[in-house]
Amino acid sequence: MKVMVIGATTPLGAAIVDHLLARRDTDLVLAVGRERESHEPARDRLVYRAADLTHARAVHDLVWSAAREHAIDVVVHVAQHRDTRAVGSSIRAQNVTAATELVRACREHRTIRRLVYRSFADVYAVRSDTAELVNEDAPLDFDPHAPAWLRNRVEADLAVCSQRGGPLAIAVLRCAEIFAADSGSSLWNALSARVCLRPLGFDPMVNLLSIADAASAFGAALASDATGVFNIPGADTLPLSRTFEESVRVAIPVPRAAIPRARRLRAPALLDGSRARRELGYAPHTAIAWPMPWWRQLLDQLGAMR
Amino acid sequence: MDPRTFERIAREAPFDDAGHGFDVFGFHPPALASAVSAAAPLYERYFRVDSVGAERIPATGPAILVANHAGVLPVDAAVLCLDVLRRTEPPRVPRAIADHFVPHLPFVGTWFARLGVVSGTRANVSHLLERGELVALWPEGVAGVAKRFRDRYRLAAWRVGFAELAIRHRAPVLPVAVLGAEESWPLARKLDRVRIFGAPYWPIPVVPLPLPAHYHLRYGTVLQLGRSAADADDPHAVAEAAETVRAALQQLVDDSRLARRGVFR
Repeated sequence: MKVMVIGATTPLGAAIVDHLLARRDTDLVLAVGRERESHEPARDRLVYRAADLTHARAVHDLVWSAAREHAIDVVVHVAQHRDTRAVGSSIRAQNVTAATELVRACREHRTIRRLVYRSFADVYAVRSDTAELVNEDAPLDFDPHAPAWLRNRVEADLAVCSQRGGPLAIAVLRCAEIFAADSGSSLWNALSARVCLRPLGFDPMVNLLSIADAASAFGAALASDATGVFNIPGADTLPLSRTFEESVRVAIPVPRAAIPRARRLRAPALLDGSRARRELGYAPHTAIAWPMPWWRQLLDQLGAMR
Repeated sequence: MDPRTFERIAREAPFDDAGHGFDVFGFHPPALASAVSAAAPLYERYFRVDSVGAERIPATGPAILVANHAGVLPVDAAVLCLDVLRRTEPPRVPRAIADHFVPHLPFVGTWFARLGVVSGTRANVSHLLERGELVALWPEGVAGVAKRFRDRYRLAAWRVGFAELAIRHRAPVLPVAVLGAEESWPLARKLDRVRIFGAPYWPIPVVPLPLPAHYHLRYGTVLQLGRSAADADDPHAVAEAAETVRAALQQLVDDSRLARRGVFR
C-alpha cells in the first residue's frame, strides 16, 4: 500500500504517518504538509512534499505529479485549517476548495483507488444542549448563521460525500472533537481563550477523541474496503463543566444570550459509532491526556529533585 | 429513607459508565441517589404511594414501562421512577423518556439528565434498549399533562414509536396505571402563546402546589409485542401493537379507579 497523507504535519496527520510506518503492508508514505521542509527525521519508506493547499493548482499538481510519480493508491486527507477562529477566503480555499479539487482529481487518477477523508461531528444539526446520539443518517447543519468554520465543514463534507459511488472508494470519517492543539477543535480554542464563558444553566455532554484513537480509526479505514460515512467517537464522554475542570480552567457561567455569537461554545453531536465498530472494527480505547495542574507539576518536579 | 438505599442506588445500580462517572446521556448515579433520598418524605408521607405488582418488572434485559400521564408538571413520572427504584432488587434505574423540549430548559434539562432522563429521540431509546436498560415512557406526551380535568383518566392521543422499538428489540412492555396525578395538580388553563425555551405552552395550575392526593400505582401484565423483530417494519403491526398496549393500560386505569376508595384516602 502506498499512501499519500495530506496534512501530515498536523498532530493527527503525524500520528497517521507513524501508524502507517509501523505497519508492514505500507510500502511508502508520501507525507504532504504546508511547511517547506519536514521537521521529522528522515525515515525509511517516508517521503515528504510541501504543498500550499490554498491554491487549487497545488492540489492538482500533488495528485498528477507527486502521487503519479510514486504510484500512490490510497489518499488520506486531514489538512483542514488548524484553528476554527481563523477566517478569510484562504481558509475556505483550504477547507472546502482543496477537498473538492482533491476528490475530483482522485476520481480521474489511474492508480488512486481509495480516499479517506476527515470530517467532523460538528456537521450534524443538533442542539448543543441536548444529549442526543446521532448516527450517520442524521441531518446536517445548514444554518446560514452558523460560523464560517462550521459552514466550511458542512460544505466540504457534502462535496466529498456527493462524489461517492464511482470507481474511487471514499470513506468519510466524521470524527468527534479531537481535544488537542492545532486539531481544529473549537472546544480547545475556547479553552485556550483568556476568559472562558459557558452558558448558564446548561451543561451538555461532550465526547472527546484522542489523537491516538483518531489515528487508529484512520488505520482501520485504510485496512478496510468499506466505503461511506463513519462516525468516530472518542473514549471520553463527560459534561462540559467537567471538561473545564480537567483542563484546569475556570469558566464563567453567563446567560447564553449575553455571550457574543462568535464566542458561544458549540458542543458537537454525540456520535453513535456502531457502524464504525461493525464495518471497520474501530472502538475507542485511549483517554485524553489532560493537562496537569501547576501544583501537581511542582510536586512532580520536587519529587524528581529528591 | 434507609441510608442503605442511597448506597444501593449510588453504587450498585447497573450503570453504563462512559468515563468520568457519567453515562453518554449525562446520567450520574450519586445525583439520582441524592434525589431519591430527598424525595423520600414526599413519596412516603405526602403522596403515600401505594404500589402493586412491581415484582413484574423484569430484573434484567431491555424492558419498557408505559404509563398514563397527567398533572401540570411530570410529578407522576417522578413518582413512578421512585417506585421502581425502591421496589426492585438490585435497583433498576428507569430511564425516563422526556419530550424534545425538556433538555432545552435551563437548569432543569441538566438536572433531569443527571437523574437519568433522556431526550425522546429514536436513536436514544434504541441505544438504551440495546444496552438492556429499563425505559419508562408516556406515549400521550404533552397531550397527557395538558388534558382537561373532565377528561381525566381517559388516555389522550397515543404515539406508536415505542411499539416499533419494543418489537425491534424484543423488549417486553409493562403497562403501569398511575392514579392520583389527575386530582393532585389539575390544570386550570394553558397559555398556548407563551412558548418559553421551546415548551409548547405555559401551564396555569388550579393550585400553586400539588395536593396530597393518594397515589396508586398498578403494574399490569407483561406484554410481548409482535411475532418477530421483522414486524417492526410493518406499520399495521406496529399500530396494532401500540393499540394493544393502549387498551391494556386503559383497562388497568379503569379497574384501578373502581378499586380505590377515594382521592385522598
